[in-house]
Amino acid sequence: MTNEPVLLVEDDPSDARLIQRAFGKLQTAVPIIRLTNGDEVVFYLSGERPFDNRATHPLPSLVLLDIKLPRRSGFEVLQWVRRQPSALNRIPVIMLTSSRHSVDINRAYDLGANSYLTKPETASQLDELAQKVQSYWLGMNQFPDLHGGPSQTSRR
Amino acid sequence: MKARTSESTSWCIKRQSVARVAPAPWNWRCTRAVGLRVSASGRLETALALLMAQHLTGFPIKRASNLNSDEIFRRLVDSAADYAIFVLDSEGYVESWNLGAERMNGFTAPEIIGKHFSVLYTPADRAGKRPAEHLQIAIENGNVEDIGWRVRKDGSRYWASALISRIDDASGKLLGFGCITRDLTERRFSELRYRLLVEGVIDYAIFSLDAHGYVTSWNLGAERIKGYKPEEIIGKHFSTFYTEEDRAAHLPEMVLRTAATEGHFTGEGWRVRKDGSRFWSNVVVTALRDDEGNLYGFSKVTRDMSERKQLQDALEQHSRELELRVREREESNAELEAFAYSVSHDLRAPLRAIAGFAQALREDCDASLDDRGRDYLNEITSAASRMNALVQDLLDYGRVSRIDMPLESMRLADAVTNAIDQLKDDRRGRLSVNVPSEFFVQSHPRVLPQVILNLLTNAFKFHLPSSTPDVQVFAEKRDGYVRLSVRDNGIGIAPQHQERIWQVFERLHDRESYPGSGIGLAIVKRAVSRMNGRHGVDSAPEQGSTFWIELAESPSTNKGNDD
Repeated sequence: MTNEPVLLVEDDPSDARLIQRAFGKLQTAVPIIRLTNGDEVVFYLSGERPFDNRATHPLPSLVLLDIKLPRRSGFEVLQWVRRQPSALNRIPVIMLTSSRHSVDINRAYDLGANSYLTKPETASQLDELAQKVQSYWLGMNQFPDLHGGPSQTSRR
Repeated sequence: MKARTSESTSWCIKRQSVARVAPAPWNWRCTRAVGLRVSASGRLETALALLMAQHLTGFPIKRASNLNSDEIFRRLVDSAADYAIFVLDSEGYVESWNLGAERMNGFTAPEIIGKHFSVLYTPADRAGKRPAEHLQIAIENGNVEDIGWRVRKDGSRYWASALISRIDDASGKLLGFGCITRDLTERRFSELRYRLLVEGVIDYAIFSLDAHGYVTSWNLGAERIKGYKPEEIIGKHFSTFYTEEDRAAHLPEMVLRTAATEGHFTGEGWRVRKDGSRFWSNVVVTALRDDEGNLYGFSKVTRDMSERKQLQDALEQHSRELELRVREREESNAELEAFAYSVSHDLRAPLRAIAGFAQALREDCDASLDDRGRDYLNEITSAASRMNALVQDLLDYGRVSRIDMPLESMRLADAVTNAIDQLKDDRRGRLSVNVPSEFFVQSHPRVLPQVILNLLTNAFKFHLPSSTPDVQVFAEKRDGYVRLSVRDNGIGIAPQHQERIWQVFERLHDRESYPGSGIGLAIVKRAVSRMNGRHGVDSAPEQGSTFWIELAESPSTNKGNDD
């Protein structure tokens, strides 16, 4: 289990709070950093102010990304991430949204999402989601190196 | 023949004005023929022959000194079978009579010679002393031309053009009269028919203009279409009919110029009635030229095309509106799409919050809640989940109404299996399925399972409290359609409600007995109709219901051999 935080990008305060609560109920609590709009994600990941201190704002192990966001949509954020020339572009991104539209789902994968989850209807389903995300993405899954330049093989 | 004594032949034809008794509506060449003088030695017939030659050719003959030949005379007169040529003495008694005269009038030469020529006139003309009047004019003017009715031997009439010329001897003494008559009955009638036709036509304005564009005739249609009476407009310039803009643009002049140079002008445009109102006209202007090719006027045929123009305009307007509506509809479809997206995202977010925090309250603050508090929480949770289902159903209903639904051949049994798999918690009691695997239907692969699922959910939901649900699903072929029936042993539906249940939000029961949004069957109806199918229900209260849908049967596809 990693100690790096999960970046939760969610503009709806209720959703954010319920998601944080669900993750908080887990046996091993993972630190969750919540951002509320697309621009903040870009600033955070690129270490711009007010997120320029990596000691207090470390790179996350996972991004939970909503689609409908103020300023910069989840798709734009995802596209920005995947186009980074640095190793940052490897960061696992999971879409967590209320949209079940196939258009949105396909677009997310086209842009390089690692997974696509819809917000559950009930609290118990949300608990289950938090539990499974943690066990799979933060437990079983192997993390890429996000620091430094891109590896040679990633250059084609 | 009276006067032929001298051998010297000196002819002259004096130019004199021609007296017209009746107006000739057409151009008659003989109007150039004038009084004849024949020398005392000349023959009357020869003079007559000359007159006729002139009549036929239109060329005035000034001198013809060597034409007093019997041969020429006979040839000319005999060949003129279409002309009655005869000679009268100075009193008007017939002296000679050619074959043409015999044909035209029915009298043979022996029958008529010696009789007075007034027998050829109508009784009315005779009573009015017209024959004597004609001779008198010929005596005075040398010549008389008359167009009018004449009578044949058998009493029938013909429309004749007659020329009577005075014939003098060399000294100027009256010898008699040469008469040439043409039967114009045919022409008269075609003229009459033409005039009647033109005058009687009311759907077309037919009128004529002189060479400068001034109105010279006016038919009933012109009066009706343009509003002017003949006396109001004849003599006025035809540019009166044009709009001010067209007049300013010199359109009337252009029209006449085009007609004059090209023979005719055709066009459509706005014209002005007497009352100032406008009408859309179709116009044909034709240049009128005499035999020498001199322009003497124009004929103009105008049709009021206002109705057609209005129809055409209305049609264009309609098609524009239709395009607009299609565009609006496309836009509103896009708006609906955006709305649906917004609903699915924004409207459900607070619902998740309500349900989520109710659950959080239940879990995190359980110690401070009593049974009543927990009960209230359950109400909140259940209301939130109902609303969630409602939003979902509305979205589904919107989707089946809106989405493109390309139909393909689909194995009905697969759709049924798919629907049963989605049934989950709603499945209680018994379910038997009898759908032959060789049944294929024209349907949409995502929509058909949803339709069947709604029917199954319904069948299980509305069961009698006293009995276990027993649902049968079966299919049969009917006239090119496959009917899928879902029969239950439930509460049934009274006949008066069997139409209503297909409407959106129609419920027959309170929510506590039978929960649901009231949209499920509306989705079935809409979806089946969009798949070109039919729907229905056979039911009676407490006798169970059989809901059915019918879809067009389609041939099984090749890929259907996998079982």
